[in-house]
Amino acid sequence: MRAYSASDEEALRARNLLKDWAGEGFLTPAQYERMEQDTVCELRRTNIFLRLVLFLFTLIIVGAAVALFYWTFMRRTGVQESGIFLLICAAICYAAAEFAVSQARLYRYGIEEALAVCSVGFLYGGMQAALFEGHRYSPQPDGIESLVPAAGAILSLWIWRRFGLPYAFLAAMIFTVWLPGYWTSSHSAQHLIVAAFYAAGLVTVAPVRSRYRFTYLDQGYSIVEALLWLGVYVAINLQLSSVDLFGKWWVGARAITEFSRPFYWATWVLTWCLPPAMLARGLRRKDRFVIAAGAVAALLTFVTNKPYLGWTRHSWDPMLLGALLIAAGLLIRRWLATGPAGIRYGFTAQRLSGKDKRWMSVGATALAFVSPQAITPSPQTGSPAQFGGGDSGGGGASSDF
Amino acid sequence: MTILTRLEQWKADGVISPDQHALLAGLSRGEPFSVALELNILLYLGVLSFVGGLGWTISAWSQQLGDVLILTILSALLAACFWYCFSRAPAWSPAETPPPSLAFDYVLYLGSLTWSVELAYIENRFHWLSGQWDFYLLATAAFYFFLAYRFDNRFVLSLALSSLAGWFGLTISHWPSHQDAVYRQYAILYSLTVAGAGFILERRGLKAHFFGTYLNIAANVLFWALLSGVFNRQEYLVWFLGLLAACGASLAWGLKRRQFSFVAYATVYGYVGVSSVLIRNMNDAPALFSYFFLTGVAMLVMLVQIARRFGREQ
Repeated sequence: MRAYSASDEEALRARNLLKDWAGEGFLTPAQYERMEQDTVCELRRTNIFLRLVLFLFTLIIVGAAVALFYWTFMRRTGVQESGIFLLICAAICYAAAEFAVSQARLYRYGIEEALAVCSVGFLYGGMQAALFEGHRYSPQPDGIESLVPAAGAILSLWIWRRFGLPYAFLAAMIFTVWLPGYWTSSHSAQHLIVAAFYAAGLVTVAPVRSRYRFTYLDQGYSIVEALLWLGVYVAINLQLSSVDLFGKWWVGARAITEFSRPFYWATWVLTWCLPPAMLARGLRRKDRFVIAAGAVAALLTFVTNKPYLGWTRHSWDPMLLGALLIAAGLLIRRWLATGPAGIRYGFTAQRLSGKDKRWMSVGATALAFVSPQAITPSPQTGSPAQFGGGDSGGGGASSDF
Repeated sequence: MTILTRLEQWKADGVISPDQHALLAGLSRGEPFSVALELNILLYLGVLSFVGGLGWTISAWSQQLGDVLILTILSALLAACFWYCFSRAPAWSPAETPPPSLAFDYVLYLGSLTWSVELAYIENRFHWLSGQWDFYLLATAAFYFFLAYRFDNRFVLSLALSSLAGWFGLTISHWPSHQDAVYRQYAILYSLTVAGAGFILERRGLKAHFFGTYLNIAANVLFWALLSGVFNRQEYLVWFLGLLAACGASLAWGLKRRQFSFVAYATVYGYVGVSSVLIRNMNDAPALFSYFFLTGVAMLVMLVQIARRFGREQ
């Protein structure tokens, strides 16, 4: 089912690990050179920057080619014919992606990824136009129209399975969110259906991935499981999936009117139960992505708890949260460091991979791109009584009168 | 063949020692499992959230709390942070220096952000410089540069570069009329200053690992400034030529140093700039689509050649 052979993908994983270990000094240059020769594979890869640019230009080419053909030959055709044209484009794009992989041996190269993404987009647009004459999404239940997002989800899942692209799985999850809107107008039922879909995904993935532990597939399944956990969490956290999200957060109003009280409070309980469950599973399996998903969910639970309870937010809430995070980080670090050789239960606070350092370096550089706005103070224009500002990242330098 | 099988084979072939095998097999099984990155992110988010709340609380409660209490709290926090950093920092070295502890970088970051909050509060309340914000920003940038180089901290370096950018921008905002061209010139001056300073510091061996940060920021500011000139309807030629020159330089640098972010900058900014000039008077849809199709193919072919020749490694 995979477009790439297991031996090729294992070889790529081995190459990446060897590079990391050599960078950290666990291997001598001579050892690295010798071992690298045993991990040769035929797949053609490139670095992340070229991959992104190749992805972008492939999208431009496909978009322009389709638009040019449509404009030249089909400008005066009806919506259904246009839909069929888009469906043909979807098939061509998918075939081109398969060709790029099987003949050119492209692997995470940008080109085949953009073609696969285009095939999903064209399929969605084409089905909508061909079957329903381009009707926009409406909240009225209409089971037949749910075929369109269902097809999008199925193709996205197939692309994830075939090419191993994690964001294709995310696309399938997003398509799934649209499905219940076609089946029922009850918001509670919609939340439940989405959560049930994701939970079913979790139940399916969990036993499958245990077979692939320590193989090249483990990381892919790890990302998928983390996405599914986060999906379940977001589906049940009514404060996150509420439409008027920020307005409700600031005024602290409950979103209880559109949901029954038992349902509302059951979801509140679940928002507190899920993050520990996610963290426990991630820690037990030593799964970085599931741990991260659990940490994000825990953070979101803290942030949304007051709006959930209808309590007023205070200006010092972020300070308390920040203090909590700092204290948690320092305590965990200290606890781990006092273990034998800095290790407790198989965990360590020491850096063992050069990737961590690179991520921090990239993050610190990216910070400079986002902070100029935050750190630049506004000119003074008002009453001196109103000391304002304090944006994070600028540390209050954005304060103004 | 999984990595564990390969390691067994390499051990049997004598390529790696049994000790190395034990270490590497453990690492590939996640034993031990490092949570260093997670702890760093936790501390970073904690500091950001704390300072955000601090600024918000001060802005909301400044009248009730009073200047003395606020300044005392901020000064105490500032003093504690800098006392911690100066008392525990290793001796200064021009080379890359690891922090003495996990918390060290974040205590310094907290102190730096608190400095910004306190400075903003003082100026807003007492107007010691009569609203001359640019002096504060310049002083803050200088202070942050000092801290970044003393303690080898990229987060604070980013704050320093941001403050310097703010100073350039704010200085112009005092001018009676705001002209895009003037802003553009200052943006170019900023990027050249940053790139030049980074280059000189790298050549002198002073925290040479910071050079990438300098250069990435300088390149992006320069490209944005040049692009904004190219987007003008009139007198864009000089900016267009400047953009082409910058793209050429960025491409050459990226290929020479194997820093493919610069190849990406040259390609994307260059394509946007050249396209904006070529299609600005093009009103015919098929011609537009043809243009994007043909130029897209040309760019793709060029990039594939670059990727084949230079960018194989991930």
